Formats: sequence, C-alpha cells, structure tokens
Amino acid sequence: MNGMITYFVRRLLLIPLTFLAITFMVYAVLRVVPGGPIEQAQMQMRKAMMHEGGGAAAAGVAGAEAEMQIPADAMKELKKYYHLDKSIPVGYGYWLWGILHLDFGQSYVYGEPVLKVIVSKFPISVYFGLIGYFASWIVCVPLGVTKAIKHKTGYDTWTSVLVFIGYAIPGFVACLMLMVFLGGGSYLNILPLGGFRSANWAQLGFFAKIWDQLRHTAIPVFGYLIGGFATMTILMKNSLLENLGADYVRTAFAKGLSERRVIFVHALRNSLIPITVGIGQAIGLLFAGSFLIEKTCNIPGMGLLGYNSLIQRDYPIVLGTMVFLVLIDLFGNIISDVVWALVDPRIRFSK
Amino acid sequence: MAKLLTTLLILVAAYYFTHRALPWLFTAAGRALGFEMNPSPDWQKRMKRFRSLRRGYYSYLIITTLFVLSFFLEFLVNNKPLMIKYDGRVAFPAFAEWGGWLPFVKDSRHINRKSDFGQVGDDEVDYRLFAAEEKDPSLLDGQIAEREKEIKDTEAEIAATKPGPGSTEDEKLDYRDLQETVPDIEGEIAALKKAKAVFAAGKASIIMPLYPYSPYEHLMDMPGRPPTGPTRTNILGTDDSATDVFAQLVYGFRVSLSFALIVSVLGYIIGIVVGAVMGYFGGWVDILIQRFIEIWASIPFLYVIMIIASIVQPSFILLVIMLVALSSWLSMTYYIRGEFYREKSRDYVQAAVAMGAGDWSVMMKHILPNSLVPVVTFAPFAIVGYVGQLVSLDYLGFGLPVGTPSWGVLMDQGMQYIKYYPHLILTPSIALAVTLYLVVQIGEAVREAFDPKVFSRLR
Repeated sequence: MNGMITYFVRRLLLIPLTFLAITFMVYAVLRVVPGGPIEQAQMQMRKAMMHEGGGAAAAGVAGAEAEMQIPADAMKELKKYYHLDKSIPVGYGYWLWGILHLDFGQSYVYGEPVLKVIVSKFPISVYFGLIGYFASWIVCVPLGVTKAIKHKTGYDTWTSVLVFIGYAIPGFVACLMLMVFLGGGSYLNILPLGGFRSANWAQLGFFAKIWDQLRHTAIPVFGYLIGGFATMTILMKNSLLENLGADYVRTAFAKGLSERRVIFVHALRNSLIPITVGIGQAIGLLFAGSFLIEKTCNIPGMGLLGYNSLIQRDYPIVLGTMVFLVLIDLFGNIISDVVWALVDPRIRFSK
Repeated sequence: MAKLLTTLLILVAAYYFTHRALPWLFTAAGRALGFEMNPSPDWQKRMKRFRSLRRGYYSYLIITTLFVLSFFLEFLVNNKPLMIKYDGRVAFPAFAEWGGWLPFVKDSRHINRKSDFGQVGDDEVDYRLFAAEEKDPSLLDGQIAEREKEIKDTEAEIAATKPGPGSTEDEKLDYRDLQETVPDIEGEIAALKKAKAVFAAGKASIIMPLYPYSPYEHLMDMPGRPPTGPTRTNILGTDDSATDVFAQLVYGFRVSLSFALIVSVLGYIIGIVVGAVMGYFGGWVDILIQRFIEIWASIPFLYVIMIIASIVQPSFILLVIMLVALSSWLSMTYYIRGEFYREKSRDYVQAAVAMGAGDWSVMMKHILPNSLVPVVTFAPFAIVGYVGQLVSLDYLGFGLPVGTPSWGVLMDQGMQYIKYYPHLILTPSIALAVTLYLVVQIGEAVREAFDPKVFSRLR
C-alpha cells in the first residue's frame, strides 16, 4: 500500500513538470512565428475599412496603407495586453499565471475568453467520445469473448478478417466512406452529411429531436468505434485465452463447474482487467483522434475548434486546446493506474 | 489486350527481380564484404514458419513486389516517353526524369522543345499528341488546315483594316502586327508539313509508358470543368486541379510506403539505442531517461505537428524528422529496454564482459541480435500506423507540400465533391484499406512465426 502511495505521489508530481515543459515549448514556438495578435488586429482593421467604403479604398492604395498602421499607443496597448513586449520566458510566466487563475486570454477570432469558447465545445466532444467508447465495449467485448471461445475455428478466422480490415482503415476514412454510401446523393441518402444537429433542431418535437440527434451521431461514433476496434477485440481475445490456460481455470474445471460458469464467472472477470485499464489511454486517444473525425463529420467540438483556430492563427485558442489535451492525457494515465489498482488487487507499484 | 498482357509481364518480371534477383544480390554483396550470410537455425525455422502462413506470405510477396516496382513508376505511369525519335534526334525523357539524381544522367530539368520534334511552340513536347500523330499522321492535316484557315482570316482582316490617312497611330501599329503574323503562321505550316513528311517516311517513333499520364501535370484540354469522372483514357477521372487520379494513387503508394518505412527505420534505430542504454546501464541513467520519455510521450504529437506545419510548410524530410522525434522512437524503447534488462544477466553476456569486450560491443554485438524479436514483429504494424499518420496529416492539410501525389489530399478534395464525384473519396480510401490490410496480414504472419502463442485450453 505504501509503495502505491509513493507511486501516485510521484506520478502526480510529474504532471506539473510535464505540463510546464510542453506548454513552454509550444508557447515559445508560437511567439517566434508571424501572424500573432498584432497582425490579426491589423487584418481586422483592414477588413473594417474595406467594409466602410469602397471609395476610400479606391482613393489610393498608398493612402490606405498608411492609414492601416495601428496608432503607436494602441500598438503598445495591444502588445502589453498580450505580453508581447516582454521576453519569451517572462511572457510565458504571465501566460502561466493567467492559466493558474483560469484566465486563458482572449480569442482573436471569437472575441471571447478562451476558456468560455473551449468549455462551450467540450461537452460535444465528450458526448461523441463517451458514446464511441461505450460502443466499442459493446462490440469488442462480446466479439473478443466469442473469438476466444471458438479459437481456431471458422468463426474465428472470418471475424479476424473483419478485425484486420478495421485495423487497416483509419476511423475518419471509415466515416468518409460511410458518408459517401449512406449520407450522400451518390448512393443511399439515409443519414445526414455531418453536423451536430439539423439546422431546424430547435423547432422539432421531443422525439424528433432525439431521432435527429441519433442520426447525426451514427457516423462519427462508427468512426470512433473503428479506431479502437481491432486493438480492443484482440486484447480481449488474447487476455481471455491466457486466462483460460491458467491453473485456476483448471482447478475450476476440476471441481466440476460447468464450462459456462468457468468462462463467464472465473476467467472473464480477470481477463477484463487489461481492457478496463485502457480507459485512461482511450480517453487521451479519443481526443487526439477527434481532429480527424470532427473535421470529417463537421462536428463543432474541441477537435474542430483546435483545427480551425490553427488555420485562423487564433493562438490563444490553440494554446488553450493544447492545455486541455495535455491535461486530459496526463489525468487519463493516472486514471488508468488508479483503475488498475482498484480492479486488480495483485498490483503493487513498488519495486 | 496488349496492355493487359504487358502489365502481367511487368508484374512477373518485378516478382522475379524482387524475390529472386534482389535477395541473391544482397547475399552476394554480404559475402563479398565478409559477413556470414547464413541465417541461424533459429531464423531459418522462423522463416520457414512464415512461408507456411499462406495469407501473410502472399501479402508479403504482393506488397514487396509492388513497392519495388513503384520505384520504376516513371517508366510505367508517366506523360514522358521511354524513348522518342524524330528525324535523327533521339531522347529518353522518362529515363532523364527517373535518374535525375544520378550524376551521369542528363539533367532532369532538360526540356525537349516542341520545335525540335515536329510540333509548334517552345515548351516541352506534347508526347501524347506526338504518339497520336505517329500512329496517324493525318492528324497533322487537321492542324495544317486550321492554320491555313487562320491565314485566310488574317488576310481578310488585313484587307478590311488597311489604314487610311485618318487612322490613329494605334491602328497603324495593330495593322503592322497583323501583317507580321502571316509569315509566322506560314512558318508553322511549313514545320507541320515537314513533320508530316518525317512521320510518313517512318523516321519518327515513340515508346510511351503503359499509362501515359503523370501525377504532376494538369490536363488543361479536358472537356468540362475539373474534377471529372472516369473516362476511357483517364480510368479514374481527374481531381479538381485536372490531375489524373490513377497516376496520383500509384505514386501516392510509393510516397506513403517510403515515408512509413523511413520513419519506422529511423525511429527504430533511435529507439533501439536509447532502449539499449536504458536497459544495459540501468540505475540513474535508466530512471532519468524514463522520466524524460514519460514527459515526451504525453505531448499530443499530432497537434504539435499540426502547429509546426501551420507555420512552416513541411517538406518530406521535415515531416519525417517531426514524426520520428515526437513519436516513432518512443515505442521501441520500452521493448528493447525490457529485452536488455533480461539479457544482460545471461551467462553469455558475462562471458563477453569477462573477455574484455567494451560496453558498446557487448550491447550491439552480443545482446542486440538476441533481442530483435520485438523489432521484427512490430515493424509491419508500425508501418500501418505511419501510413495512417501521413494520410491523416495530408487530409488535414498539414502534410506534404502541395503537388505531392497523396491519398490524404485526394480524400480532402473528395469531401467537397462528395455528392457528385464520390470516386475522389472511394479510390484513395480503397487503395489505403487494401494496402494496409495486406501489411497487417504480413504483420500477423510475422508475429505468428516469431512468437507462436500456443494457447492451451484446459478442461
């Protein structure tokens, strides 16, 4: 028990270190490159001017160019606001201080606090991620178990082909193909082409709302499912097979228990451990993979936010998304360890 | 029919080259350098077992043959001919393009001018047109007739716009220009007539590749706006920059697999060295590197690569470096560290140390050959992973430079035309799925051959 506590303390202590290392690196990279808030503000001013009157723009490019310079004091103000007037380490210090006070800064594009934007997108990603994760349990565990029981039979062989196909196709490619076949005008048209909900969602009745949501959920969840499908199924199968060969299973058979009872009560419980432990990594992977699936299915979650803000050079959001991703990954690992210690009493983390 | 037969012949030749000639060359070269090229009985047994696993072994034959063949794609799928001969002038454009990196091959940027090969203009010869003309010189009649009509029209215009005393300076200039175009066109007609004579005399010939389109050219004379669907000539249609899809697919195969191979090999080398150091020395070195790896592994590497790629347009090499540095070296350290930890307490290691072998030589000469099983068994799956990464990055728009033939870019384009041109999504997806499926089959067979888990069912 003592060893376990020191283990977790060590893991927890490593979190801030990891966090600092990664965020500093990314902060430094983003500070060095062009396209920061100043350029962004200039762009916005230019846009505003174009909007005000085409005549002014036509009056003379040189004149417009001169007008587009941000006044010196405003420039100073802007730089001060984003701490661009300080060196990178000091600026990073300010940024970090803000993070510790849950102040992630202001988005250049949305004009809102970063935290607010991210938090508004977070539940959408969680919704798809969780459903995807549970869907993979529902599919992979029974498949893995039946594959293990029927090891080296025809059923095992042809489901293996299925598993390998699942391994070979990235999740977002599966989404793309499904959209072509089920969601496009090309073939069948039974599912929507991406999006989180229909545009007229608010006007729908209660059941129509649920139906609409389900229709929009199907393809992305299938993508998430494919992403972990092969690994999880094979893990389940091998783990059950290993347990079926263990001595305690022999004992259980020897005392005359039925095969059903031995498999489902004795062996299955132990063989679920590796899969349960994967929950932490699965969380991290779900969010890392969400860029692709959210972009493909046009789901306005964290992944699409991170992707769009990269393209729009909205660096406070990029950094904020980064912070979330790192934290999710780090805590996911810890969750895995805790779950492992909880479900497997044999685990001792000391040497 | 002839094309089909040629394709088959090329495939057979590629098979013999890949699986007969290359291994023989490899062994011979190894022997010449003084290596013992007989595999140990252990490896022989594994290789035999691998061959007996049919699905994996055939996948291995198919993938390696196609991969080796893909390095000669310039001769098979290209808009440049293998050989072109015209009135005593001979050129080998496909060879020049393929061997551009070789010192003795003519500069690959060298252009065969149209005017030297019986066509009109100063830019690169239109080889497909040349091939068509060679087959049927009467095609030139059309071009000549067109120009003769042009001359008539111009002469009519000249007569109509003859400047009088009241004309402005501009009108006079235009008139002079018009007058000058007539001899130009006449010169073109003379050149075309000469070309026709050359073709008719059989003094011109051309050998085009099997599929005469390149993934780097934009087919400007396609009817309608790109993208277009499959046709008889462009068997999988074109994408929205009017580039042939089939050509992109096959070149994309080469790019993807080479990328994955380079990333895995580099990652493996670094991972093996780091893992070996960790496992062999243990102690503080091990702990420090472990902590570092733990931190490094928590980097959301896909996002970091996207961030860097959004700033500097990555080249092939930069992408390889990023993927190796951020992710691919990590996985091997765990396995190699474990293997070294176990092996270093074995007697043969003690013996080597006692005989005065240095650390490096013990690690690389004695322990490493005994710890290669995870390296070999994980390699195919690593390749599957990196092909997927490259396709993902290309799809997101943070991958290889624009213009590189790539499956991911095609998929991204297909998204925009999903309702009208589903082949832009389906063909690269199927190519990706089939390729990776075959590689997974190889991996499964290798794993089975190296690490046969015999699960005993007790009851």
